[in-house]
Amino acid sequence: MNRIRLVVNGREREIEVEACKLLVHAVREDVGLTGTHVGCLTGDCGACTVLVDGASVKSCSVLAVQADGAEITTIEGVAGDDELHPVQRAFWDEFGFQCGYCLPGMLLTARELLDRMPDPDDDAIVQAINGNLCRCTGYGSILRSIRCAATRMAASGEPAEEAS
Amino acid sequence: MITKNFAYHAPADLHGVVTALSAASGTAVVLGGGTMLVPDMTHGKTVADVVVDLSRAGLSGITLDGGGGPHDGPVADDGVSDGRVADGRVADGRVADGRVADGGVVVVGATTTYAHVLSDPRSRTLAPLLRRVAGGVTGGPQIRNKGTIGGSACYANPSSEVPAALVALGARLRLASAGGTREVAAGDFFTGAFATARRPGEVLAAIALPAPTGPCPGYTKLKLNESSWPIATAACVPGPDGALRVALGAVAATPLLVTLDPPEAGVADPAWRAHVREVVDAALAEPWSDVLADGDYRRRVAPVVAVRAVADALQQAEGES
Ligand SMILES: Cc1cc2nc3c(=O)[nH]c(=O)nc-3n(C[C@H](O)[C@H](O)[C@H](O)COP(=O)(O)OP(=O)(O)OC[C@H]3O[C@@H](n4cnc5c(N)ncnc54)[C@H](O)[C@@H]3O)c2cc1C
Ligand code: FES
Ligand code: FES
Repeated sequence: MNRIRLVVNGREREIEVEACKLLVHAVREDVGLTGTHVGCLTGDCGACTVLVDGASVKSCSVLAVQADGAEITTIEGVAGDDELHPVQRAFWDEFGFQCGYCLPGMLLTARELLDRMPDPDDDAIVQAINGNLCRCTGYGSILRSIRCAATRMAASGEPAEEAS
Repeated sequence: MITKNFAYHAPADLHGVVTALSAASGTAVVLGGGTMLVPDMTHGKTVADVVVDLSRAGLSGITLDGGGGPHDGPVADDGVSDGRVADGRVADGRVADGRVADGGVVVVGATTTYAHVLSDPRSRTLAPLLRRVAGGVTGGPQIRNKGTIGGSACYANPSSEVPAALVALGARLRLASAGGTREVAAGDFFTGAFATARRPGEVLAAIALPAPTGPCPGYTKLKLNESSWPIATAACVPGPDGALRVALGAVAATPLLVTLDPPEAGVADPAWRAHVREVVDAALAEPWSDVLADGDYRRRVAPVVAVRAVADALQQAEGES
């Protein structure tokens, strides 16, 4: 067993994991946050996306021990308990999801894009989400949702990071 | 879930890595970004007793080694040149006219990620082809944040982009083990589908590229859809004598290097296109076949991507002149 320390959504956590445990399973089972989904376990679908030290990764392709000492942001960390982040609100308003399986990964990826590039064109949006698969929407409403979030965030003058 | 547990080491430098590899009992594997290795362990395709993680070993970064001689030390983690910048060059590796002088060697640390290549402004002048490759790798920012240039080279998937890019550039791969270091030319490194000249106990420490002297190489790839892996890639590096060095990727088990005559009458000239078809077809003994496309299809598209890469290289050269 390996004892590792993580700061998950701002809270310090210490957990014991076997070296072979995937980060996605540690987040769900040991930290107890089940918003991060398990899909393909091959690195293709993006449902398991979390941020490690601010950079998005597919947590099925990272060992939990590798994240020792890191700051992790999961979907639970993008907004307060009773609020929606502007990106979540836009997905809600624009029907950016149906079953919601892809949603946690899609939202984190969309937020990372808007933090980096507040006014992305369609090519940049497609490039950003080309590692997040959605089997329900056909992507049209996802593109609309991200454009809508960008427009609203620009209008409110809030950069994505501070809006969370 | 990975069903078999293993010992995990994350050494703090290259020496620690090669020591951990040589001391390992059982099967030891090297962990780069993990984008291939971790899922392969989950699915039981790779079973390891020991995992040696490179992420803390300081092997990331792009530096210019001005002397052109071998560079044996580990590559600086921060990617900052180690001070060996030759006369007349500014710190980011350019000479005054924006080009790198002949003879320099660009050292790309094995764990340099695609995202690092894209965010490091020095890659524009020092590794423009890798920069173009990195920008087109799919799998999302998540894969570009974690996937490494060295990991792609060592995985040697025929349907991937780094191997042919390294062959086009005439790269040399620096392999380290407890017994010392050696360099292998990219053309000799890729020995088959998912097979390389790397020996057990060796780690790829860095990739040495001749510093670019001309305009940005041409690059093109053919893929099925936005998130697909490539079916065929081509990189074109014009040589000083005018001959065009074109490396085709994903069309055979290993990268295919051909030399083409320059298109005197333009890339649309039917006679020149016939020359490309003839050269590529003769070189392509056994086209690669996988779920993305069968060998017949790849044989048909190989000369097409070669033509596109040449057209792209000529356009890059025009843009800069
Ligand atoms: C969804 C998805 C989409 C992708 N799309 C593309 C694409 O469009 N084009 C493309 O070219 N590729 C694509 N890839 C592949 C990607 O380029 C590779 O996954 C990545 O570069 C591998 O690097 P890594 O550091 O993650 O390797 P790892 O997974 O860490 O390792 C891969 C293999 O190399 C070995 N290894 C790694 N580093 C070293 C080293 N320094 N020394 C010795 N051995 C080492 C490991 O032991 C393992 O066998 C995609 C991958 C995914 C998951
Ligand atoms: S579960 Fe990680 S990418 Fe699908
Ligand atoms: S909403 Fe069902 S997979 Fe995207």
